[in-house]
Amino acid sequence: MIKATIHKTLRSAAGKMTLAIELDVKKGQFVTLYGPSGAGKTSTLRIIAGLLSPDKGSIMVNDSIWFDKERKINRIPQQRKIGYVFQDYALFPHMTVRKNLEFALDKKQDKAIVDELISIVELEELQDRKPETLSGGQQQRVALARALVQKPEVLLLDEPLSALDIRMRSKLQDYILKVHEKYHLTTILVSHDIGEIIKMSDVVYKLQDGGVEKVGKPMTVFASNQLSGKFQFVGEVIDITKEDVIYIVTVLIGQNVVKVVAQEQEIVNLAIGDKVIVASKAFNPVLQKIEV
Amino acid sequence: MNVFSGHISDIKVSKSLSIVSVKLDEHNLLKTILLETPETASHLKKGNQITVLFKETEVIISTEENTLISIENKIKATIKNIEKGALLSKVILESSIGEIVALITSEILDELSLEKDQKVVAMIKVNEIMLSR
Repeated sequence: MIKATIHKTLRSAAGKMTLAIELDVKKGQFVTLYGPSGAGKTSTLRIIAGLLSPDKGSIMVNDSIWFDKERKINRIPQQRKIGYVFQDYALFPHMTVRKNLEFALDKKQDKAIVDELISIVELEELQDRKPETLSGGQQQRVALARALVQKPEVLLLDEPLSALDIRMRSKLQDYILKVHEKYHLTTILVSHDIGEIIKMSDVVYKLQDGGVEKVGKPMTVFASNQLSGKFQFVGEVIDITKEDVIYIVTVLIGQNVVKVVAQEQEIVNLAIGDKVIVASKAFNPVLQKIEV
Repeated sequence: MNVFSGHISDIKVSKSLSIVSVKLDEHNLLKTILLETPETASHLKKGNQITVLFKETEVIISTEENTLISIENKIKATIKNIEKGALLSKVILESSIGEIVALITSEILDELSLEKDQKVVAMIKVNEIMLSR
């Protein structure tokens, strides 16, 4: 689907950095770019979108060439079938939700897609409101819907959820996964949140200083030593309490809080806010059916 | 967590399950059951170095060496230290593979009258041992 070889010298406050990245993304895949600030994540997205031109390389999407330095091909963003969602929602403040979506329509395009998207991201009740009267999560839903109006093949998400609180985040993640599936999108997300990456992506590219340090399934990339335990989750430490001769570590996994008994030696390097893998063997948990 | 390093000495496979034996030293072998096979996890290979992990709460202490009991993993040890708490006690055992920590109730500690320098056997069930590369 997307085959890209990108070379670009970038100048930033920190100095000169060379972006040298190869991407090979299959159709329908959900890919995440992860790495410290300045590693080249956003620049990579902007290059795919056509907002920034590489010094060297090529970008092939399906069988069409979006960029090829040698053949002097460089499609403008409007000619690339992409949807782009930024961290700040970038909605038109003077337009209602519906108008914001309609404004994104192509001249000859059927308006039906606007209704469909409003229904998918559940904006029916909010469609006549102006963006400023909406919460951050609601605005981001509008931005997501707007990015899909022209039925893109590739959805680019640049930390779209980082400004939202954890509950809103989780809901938005579900909306993103829903549209990713429904419209058979190929999605590239930039994210710092390991839990989010594991929940959403098929493949993660770990970037460092403009290069790809690691590529693989999120669990393989993030678990430094792979545990054989089949009952594994990534969570965040929210509390550590000493009790008798043990410690009780409270971990937030998604929206669930779990507690783990630990020894001093396990908690010495652990602080509140740290990401941890909670692992147990598949032989230990019990299942209980919930009667509804 | 109790963590030891060893080498895989045997792997028995049936469908998606494996029982892996890890040799820790001359006298001690720990067996673990996994929902993995050499096919699904390439590091499961005879001779490969591997780390075994088990929680302190899963260590059973017996004062008798030849108990008939359905626990495969037994390691001879000597009690090095006891930290007694209100409900739980931490028992530190010295063995040929290194220190093993067991967490047991203070009640059973008293009942068995476990004390420093006593010779005991530490036991761990196969399903309580995890492997890590």
